[in-house]
Amino acid sequence: MTLIEPTPVKAAGRRSRAATGAGVPPPRGLRRHFRRYWQLWVMAAPAIAFVAVFSYIPMYGIQLAFREFDFTAGLTGGEWVGLKYFRQFFESPQFWTLMRNTVVISVTTLVVGFIAPIALALLVNQVIGRSRKKFLQTATYLPHFISIVVIVGMLQVFLSPTSGLITRFLEGLGLTGVNFLGDPSAFVPVYVISEVWQHCGWNSIIYLAALASVDTQLYEAAKIDGAGRLSIVRHIDLPALIPTMIVLLILNMGGVLNAGFEKIFLMQNPLNLSVSEVISTYVYKIGILSNQFSYATAIGLFNTAINFVFLVVTNQIAKRVANTSLW
Amino acid sequence: MLKRLRHRSPGDIAFAVFLALSCGLILFVTLYPVYFVMIASVSDPTLVATGRVSFWPRGWSWFGYEQIFADSRIWTGYRNTLLYTVAGTALNLLVTLPAAYALSRREFAPRKVLMLFFAFTMFFSGGLIPTYLLYRDLNLLDNWAVFVLPSAVNVFNLIIARAFFENSLPEEIFEAATIDGANYFQFFAKIAIPLSMAIISVIGLYYLVQHWNDFFTGLVFVRTYDRQPLQIVLRDILISNQAFAGGAGGAGGTGGSYAQQYADQIKYGVIVVSTLPIIVLYPFLQRYFEKGVMIGSVKG
Amino acid sequence: MRKALTATAAVVAGGLVLAGCTSGGDDGADDGGNGGGGETIQILVLKHPLTGPMSDMDWVAQLEEMADVTIEWEEVSADWDQKKSTMLAAGDIPDLVVGVNAITDSDLVTFNGLFEDLSDDLDALPNVQGMFEAVPETEVMATQPEGEVFSLPSYRRFWPQTATRQYINQQWLDNLGLEMPTTWDELFEVLKAFKDEDANGNGDAGDEIPMDWSPTGTGGFGFFQPSAFLGSLGLPITGGGGAGYFVEDGEVGNFFTDERYRDVVEFLHDCYAEGLISQEVMTQDYSAYQSVGRGNGDDATVGFSWGWTASDRFGAQLAPQYAATAPMAAPGADASDVVWSYDNYSLNYGPNSITMSAQTDARDASLRVIDAFYDQDISVQVLWGDIGPNIEETGENAYTVLPPADETSDPSTWKWTTSLADNGPMWIRDDIEVVLPSDLQEANDQAEPLADALANVDPVEDVFPAEFFSLSAEDSSTVSLNNTNFLAIAMQNWATWITEGGAEAGWDDYVAQLEAAGVPQNVEIYQGYYDEYIASLG
Repeated sequence: MTLIEPTPVKAAGRRSRAATGAGVPPPRGLRRHFRRYWQLWVMAAPAIAFVAVFSYIPMYGIQLAFREFDFTAGLTGGEWVGLKYFRQFFESPQFWTLMRNTVVISVTTLVVGFIAPIALALLVNQVIGRSRKKFLQTATYLPHFISIVVIVGMLQVFLSPTSGLITRFLEGLGLTGVNFLGDPSAFVPVYVISEVWQHCGWNSIIYLAALASVDTQLYEAAKIDGAGRLSIVRHIDLPALIPTMIVLLILNMGGVLNAGFEKIFLMQNPLNLSVSEVISTYVYKIGILSNQFSYATAIGLFNTAINFVFLVVTNQIAKRVANTSLW
Repeated sequence: MLKRLRHRSPGDIAFAVFLALSCGLILFVTLYPVYFVMIASVSDPTLVATGRVSFWPRGWSWFGYEQIFADSRIWTGYRNTLLYTVAGTALNLLVTLPAAYALSRREFAPRKVLMLFFAFTMFFSGGLIPTYLLYRDLNLLDNWAVFVLPSAVNVFNLIIARAFFENSLPEEIFEAATIDGANYFQFFAKIAIPLSMAIISVIGLYYLVQHWNDFFTGLVFVRTYDRQPLQIVLRDILISNQAFAGGAGGAGGTGGSYAQQYADQIKYGVIVVSTLPIIVLYPFLQRYFEKGVMIGSVKG
Repeated sequence: MRKALTATAAVVAGGLVLAGCTSGGDDGADDGGNGGGGETIQILVLKHPLTGPMSDMDWVAQLEEMADVTIEWEEVSADWDQKKSTMLAAGDIPDLVVGVNAITDSDLVTFNGLFEDLSDDLDALPNVQGMFEAVPETEVMATQPEGEVFSLPSYRRFWPQTATRQYINQQWLDNLGLEMPTTWDELFEVLKAFKDEDANGNGDAGDEIPMDWSPTGTGGFGFFQPSAFLGSLGLPITGGGGAGYFVEDGEVGNFFTDERYRDVVEFLHDCYAEGLISQEVMTQDYSAYQSVGRGNGDDATVGFSWGWTASDRFGAQLAPQYAATAPMAAPGADASDVVWSYDNYSLNYGPNSITMSAQTDARDASLRVIDAFYDQDISVQVLWGDIGPNIEETGENAYTVLPPADETSDPSTWKWTTSLADNGPMWIRDDIEVVLPSDLQEANDQAEPLADALANVDPVEDVFPAEFFSLSAEDSSTVSLNNTNFLAIAMQNWATWITEGGAEAGWDDYVAQLEAAGVPQNVEIYQGYYDEYIASLG
């Protein structure tokens, strides 16, 4: 069987690098650069301006993490306390529990939530018949729109140890005595599975779009070579998704310490607290409910800094290994 | 059907069976809860909460919908949301796509620095208070533009679009166009855009849904009720009927069984009311996901 | 800087047509300014989510007339916490903020300077002065340690001394020929019979839930929860328990580290292990808990529980089956020591119900509005709705609260729908006569079995008076930090010990953890404030 090795995507990438390398000499001097690329600058300018105004200007607020919040002195006028609030967080009796819980929840979600949409997109793409395919796509995308409050309410109803539909179904299969809502070891699976169920269809849209741009000639060629459907998926579809996958993986890695606040908060009960208290719920309880602005900012900053480090590291790895990167 | 099967290898048949089974399972798993939301929105909430409604509505009542639509603010909310969503998404695409294209050009050296400049903001932000002060200085508080301008660029979407332009636009087309004398503007408008309808519709959908679901902006930055989007109106209706859901403790624990009783029905009704329009929209975008339509046609 | 920003934004906005609707805030058509005159002032009101628009309330026009102002209302009923912190930190507040604890003590110290000190304006507030004289607690509640008055409380007089009433299904007792239990042991036997003998007589012996309570959540205890059993051991809680602080004979303590709390937990574990407590008690949400209480048609499902009134807890249809009961005596404890959660201050007083901006342009007008809220007729209407549709004035100082005009509603829902109710600033005079609405009558009647236990509570020596404390910024942050840290441990153990047992074995270790998490530090801080409070009572 002939392998359809160089996919159009990869090929395009290689050729373009070759083109830049050979055809366009590095610009000498700024003036030359602008003369050549002023159109690209014009295209990028509005986005740069919006981000500069709405994201960068308010960033002076970050210093609140290092200052005492003092209303009378203004946002940036409070006493400089350095790393006091960071220390307070590290020394908190909850710190290691929070870190452990946050990492377990977000990494599990990240891994499962990354793979599932890819599998779904490949699967949906295999369905023959336009209307069937469309129906399947729409169906899987629907749950994304159910609000978190309702999702958690439904989990309560479906997983109730006495009357829940899912509990009863599993009892029918011989799996009895599991309290999905109370058992701490069930919390992460319930959270992750419901998360994947809700967003898998929505997250697969981007992959479906990527699959839509696969050159149909490749399929024809593969069929003529007698490739089976599975091998077409493996050798044409999957490679076509790789650039998108890498970008999304890098972006997801930047969320390594992000565990969805609202859903976890709503799913918390005294029985599962040992695994369900995460950084964001702790910040909410401590910061928002009792005006601890500096402390909340410091924890938030710690959180984003870790995330950012993960993003940068993953990006560098991706650059080396897969030759794709954000910058 | 049988005739088609005969031409297939055993592997392909196994594959087809696996496909059919998994699609069936996926359909059930995703559609049932959605169906449940719909029947719960017209069933007796007491029966729903105690797990006695599973496949058919029980204790039928339209009370939830009556409550939702009795509120005249809902129409203002729909109008506002529609306006913010359309204007917002238009601006989003106008700003994001050209930037994504510019950043996808490998010969554009500053793009690395610019990408870092953008990506940084996905993580670090100044927080709510400085943002509020900025909006006040820009006169955006209580102004409808607050729903549109600050969210003009979503860096995540920008990165996705850039990756798509970078990987899916064959470089030969660009070279050919350059030889024909096209500049960046012309190439972007005449070739890149038509070839990228799939990603544009995805990004457009992302933005659309982001605007549609946005309630935080209205919550923090808008005071005049007439300018509030649908999500705020629905949230108010929802919360006003969930009054005691947090425990009757609150301000003196004085009952309210009537309100509590219908809270859940309204909760499910609100989901239906707020998502129906956006769900209806999706099939219209789907045609851009048809396999290979665009590239094939242009190349051919 | 500001100009530069505006210019940048304008450039940024270039591509978009911004014509038409620009920044606003002056179209007051929808602001409910119906009548009045004189100056215009802005009031932000934190309403109960059920409460209708301010413009629908007639008393608002009377208030405007009385104070000679036009009011522009900004009505908030959801997500106030998120909205508030931004608004306050940006210093962006309207002339007045109305609503019980809309501005909390913690806000008052954190945003020092944002709120007007009313202590030197009392001459302009005769009604408020009158309230301070007639009900001295209100003055203590309003006054900061240094003597400032940044906010005013409300007083509503007619509420019972406790929010939590205890109910048992009398019909089930009768069906099974059982006596009303009076001790934990008897209760245990009764609940066991409820479980085993098909108490509701519907042929299904498995659908009875002998005991159920309101979900405790992860942040401490509240009303309608089994913290009520602490009273059986003579431990005087307030407000249903909260973060565990209590005062006993003038000493502040925290019951989470008190052995009597362990006794309650062990008793509850015995019940749970026997299947006498709902299997979902730790995981259900409030709506499931309420729905279960409503049973199935005429068949009740819950045997023993706590609630505000029987009709609120079990629904109008099943309420007649239930009897309000007296506290149960714990084994070995002296029955004469039995107490009950004393909630008088939280039910009859509303701390921080109105605050005034220090930067207001309409000082005098705002003061007039504040005082008008505390007028006799306005106060009554703020609480129960307009004279006319909701209240009948039957004499000089006599009022009758009418049943809901909407027949599908119930009195308590109706009250919240048509007025600010408990959330408003008000002074209900002690010398007026009011025929109370039926829900309040029911609450008062069903509190009767608790009267002896409540009489055992000394309102000064045995009550943790959180409403009267004004913590400094530093103390408030220490206290809340410690609370968050130790409650996470405590509530986790509470749930595990009840469902799985182990309280006795784990107790010492647990107490050590709680002490490390700051319980003694908080108790000490509160003891200081308590002593100051006692001193201020003179």
